[in-house]
Amino acid sequence: MKQNISALMDGELFDEDSEVVLNKLKRNPEAHAEWQVYHLISDALRQPDHVRPDISTSMRERLRDEPIVFAPAVQQKKARWYAVSAAASVMAITLMAWLSLQADSKIQFQVATTQNTMHPASFSAADNLDDYLSAHREFSPSKDVLRMTSHVRTVTRQQTNRIDK
Amino acid sequence: MKSKIIVVLALLGSTALAVANPVQQIHMEWLNIIALAAHQTNYSGTFVHQYGNRLETSNISHIFDQGGERTKLVNQDGSKCEVTSNNSAEWCYPGDKVGQAEQAHDRKAFPVLLPEQLSTLGENYQIHTGETARIAGFDTQVLELRPRDSLRYAHKMWVHIDSGLLLKAAVLSDRQEVVEQYTFIQLKVNSSTKPTKTPLSGISKTTAQPKLPLAQKIVAVADESAWKVDGIPAGFKKIAEIHRFMRGKKNVATQMVFSDGLVGISIFIETRSSNPDSALGLSSQGAIHIYSKLNSDYLVTVVGEVPPSTVLQVANSVRNRGLLSN
Repeated sequence: MKQNISALMDGELFDEDSEVVLNKLKRNPEAHAEWQVYHLISDALRQPDHVRPDISTSMRERLRDEPIVFAPAVQQKKARWYAVSAAASVMAITLMAWLSLQADSKIQFQVATTQNTMHPASFSAADNLDDYLSAHREFSPSKDVLRMTSHVRTVTRQQTNRIDK
Repeated sequence: MKSKIIVVLALLGSTALAVANPVQQIHMEWLNIIALAAHQTNYSGTFVHQYGNRLETSNISHIFDQGGERTKLVNQDGSKCEVTSNNSAEWCYPGDKVGQAEQAHDRKAFPVLLPEQLSTLGENYQIHTGETARIAGFDTQVLELRPRDSLRYAHKMWVHIDSGLLLKAAVLSDRQEVVEQYTFIQLKVNSSTKPTKTPLSGISKTTAQPKLPLAQKIVAVADESAWKVDGIPAGFKKIAEIHRFMRGKKNVATQMVFSDGLVGISIFIETRSSNPDSALGLSSQGAIHIYSKLNSDYLVTVVGEVPPSTVLQVANSVRNRGLLSN
């Protein structure tokens, strides 16, 4: 299943296979959690300063921020197919978001509300997180074999904080 | 010369390792040499640190003498920032000279790895000695630590054959991509200790006491954990659980630390009310990942030199024992 999710994310599956995997995702909460984690990791690997834990939250925010277009779109035969597939995608995403809310509605809701009210998308968390990094470093065994790495990270960390401030 | 003798002593001294395989034992000895050299060698040099899309150059000077260990780090890019450490205490001097203090909590006086830690490390990583390579003009031995699962990173190290210093180190993902690395581009290893002639002469053994109060005070060592963490990867053992104050916060946080012999995972648990504006989500700095999430009335933050999926897995598995029994 993990391989399938990964392939689906990379767009390597054919339509029929994608459908099978999506169906499995809908039915299996564990696989759905896996799907979310894969997205989070994929975001993290792109190395932004901060990544949100819940894609459905950011998706809702993105949708909320989308301008509402009142003018009718120009209808073209080809465009209709895109519209159908786009609508299907949106439905799938909405279903995902709904499923994730169902899975753990209380916690998810708390996450969503706190993020919406407190943090804009581009906030910098370095100041707050630095405390955790220092506290972790005091006990981490990486001070032993990887001591030199630990030194290297210290100066970089201080420098990063200054840039972010 | 002195360091070579120490290396030989380390080889002879720690024969009572709980590692049966002689080849593996030699690999383990390398780790001891690295740990010892990082503490007890006098050196100064310049290194380049690369992670994500950042590349930074810094100077480092390190002294070990009767007074203990002193290190000075100065970044060479951007606004100046100087970090000095004197044994276990650490100070940061940014451009405006306001001293920021961080009291490190040294767990042991002697830097050699404990046999227990080495055997844990051997259980979690396959250690290989590879080819020799030339780094910053010095001959190095390449050492690879490959994890036995995908929940931790692989580490590749280039060890200076004469001194045991790590001249280059890289953290690799399971796809063999470099997550973070540093390499010395210039290095001077001093065989004798003459602090007055080194760039460290400005740091006296009694560096001025920090101007700011030590915020991260450890209140107590926890007797029995109120928390259950099932998501800790196999091979990680709990090495500490403490109650401490975090900077600028009134309530006490619980910190649990787990080790696999090489890297660590810390779990911080605080009441939610004392952290109204905490950053939730995943943040990264090279191979270190931090993930914060709300868990009913608590804020759970997991920090570790492990892949993002591991900190997520750990944070999602934190449960309060009290709530479980109800």
